[in-house]
Amino acid sequence: MNAGLERLVEIALRDVLDPEIGRSVVDLGLIYAIAATPDGRVSITMTTTTRGCPLAGFLKEAVAMAAGAVEGVTAVEVTLTYEPAWEPAMIAAE
Amino acid sequence: MPMASLSRWTMSYFAAALAFLVAAEALAVAGIGYPAAGLVEPATLLLVHFVAIGWLSLAMAGALLQFVPVLVSSPLAFPRLALPALAMLAAGLALLCAGFATLAGWIEAPLDLLPLGAAFLLCGFSLLGLMLVATLLSARPVALFARFVLTGLACLAATALSGAGFSTLLSGHGDWLGTVTLLPDGLPFHALLGLGGWLGLIAVGVSYRLFVMFMMAPEPPSRRVRPVLLLAGLGFGLALVGLAAPFAGIEPGALWITAILAALILASLFYARDILTLYRARRRKALEINMLASIPAFGALGLGLTLLPVAVIAHAGDGAIAALVFLIAFGWLGGLTMAQLVKIVSFVTWLETYTPRLGRGPAPRVGDLVAMPRTGWWFLLYYGGVGLAAATLAIAASTGFRLAMALCLAGTAGIVTELIGIRRLSQIKASDRPPAHERPRLLAARAEERKPAHVETGRIARPRA
Repeated sequence: MNAGLERLVEIALRDVLDPEIGRSVVDLGLIYAIAATPDGRVSITMTTTTRGCPLAGFLKEAVAMAAGAVEGVTAVEVTLTYEPAWEPAMIAAE
Repeated sequence: MPMASLSRWTMSYFAAALAFLVAAEALAVAGIGYPAAGLVEPATLLLVHFVAIGWLSLAMAGALLQFVPVLVSSPLAFPRLALPALAMLAAGLALLCAGFATLAGWIEAPLDLLPLGAAFLLCGFSLLGLMLVATLLSARPVALFARFVLTGLACLAATALSGAGFSTLLSGHGDWLGTVTLLPDGLPFHALLGLGGWLGLIAVGVSYRLFVMFMMAPEPPSRRVRPVLLLAGLGFGLALVGLAAPFAGIEPGALWITAILAALILASLFYARDILTLYRARRRKALEINMLASIPAFGALGLGLTLLPVAVIAHAGDGAIAALVFLIAFGWLGGLTMAQLVKIVSFVTWLETYTPRLGRGPAPRVGDLVAMPRTGWWFLLYYGGVGLAAATLAIAASTGFRLAMALCLAGTAGIVTELIGIRRLSQIKASDRPPAHERPRLLAARAEERKPAHVETGRIARPRA
């Protein structure tokens, strides 16, 4: 558990914007969990707005890239999940 | 988990579809077809098939090739068949229309062109059906929206087969039918299955899924959507029976058509309720042009489908029925298709161009590729033309109809120009455009170049350098 690093990763992920809406993957509720170990290993669980989204591979890669660029991160693992399925209620209020 | 990818030939389908639409509108402006000719005269048949197969079916096929894999999270089956299918459909339509031109006495050619064209169309639609059915059935359980598409494809098969039968009759090779009279009694069912079953039902089913995505609205529960499919399935089942009835010596009359329309109206009422709910419950408060421009299309569907049974029962005449069918074909199906083309083309173009920039720096949004509000004005012109054309058809004002179609043509030409502009990134400032050799091609997506990232399924471990 490394709460400080998790917070920094979350901030970094706010720069990954959905090209449709122009809001970040964090604001859209696409990031389900961020977990960091004391030695800087980060695991991110995320989803996309729909299964089979053509952007899924790119979003996953972009999330890994943004998280990997955070100071103190030594490794990033991004897992795509559809359990639970994303729904519009997960979008953060503007 | 497999990911869907870009459909390489979808843009080619769209380009061919729009070319046929422009040609059909130009023919109407020139006074070819109804109301200058009768409803079942060769000139009208030529125009109708330009619209139904050339425009609406090719656009629907292109959209399905892109979105069916996305919606079932599975790659397109037999993707290499997409281009041969397009070539066969375009060639089949050209041959069929050459046959109609021969029937009309415009050219001298054998009437065998009609069944030959129908054979090409059957082959093209079979290849398309093979790709889509195999893709849909590769994901189990078969989702509700997939059942809409499968039912629509069954209607397409019935439409194409009956059309092939009609073409044989028109070419003078109808001896095998004996005393069975398929023409003209079968025409309304052929049109219902084609426009309503293949094009309409699939548009309805796909719109449930796409509108949820486009507007970020909650997905309607299956129990709300299922009655739409059941009622529409009942209507198109009755249409199929009506088409086959002459073989049993039965002549289905106006009452049969009214019963079909009643089932379709009920289905449309449930559909309208759901679409209204999606618009109201959406999280994207600012509607994009594709959803704004879809609103008049739904109005056209409501008006057309409500008044059509009244016109049939009241024997209102060819003019009123032609006006209402025109409203459904050009207002609902045509308007909805054109509106969604703007979205699909801009989304695919963005995917081809800007995915490498995702998360690596600023990039334009998908909506930035569309010239607004100019695109909206073209839609206004198109829908204005459609409304006027329907009104002039109802009162049999031939010259007024041609003028109205000129408005439609101007609107369509404007939208086509905007679509080309989207592919050429004309709204994006020069510094945000990729080098010329990496820009999207006009007619084919750069599917292969983007494939590795789309099909990437493993976990990413990317330590900071």
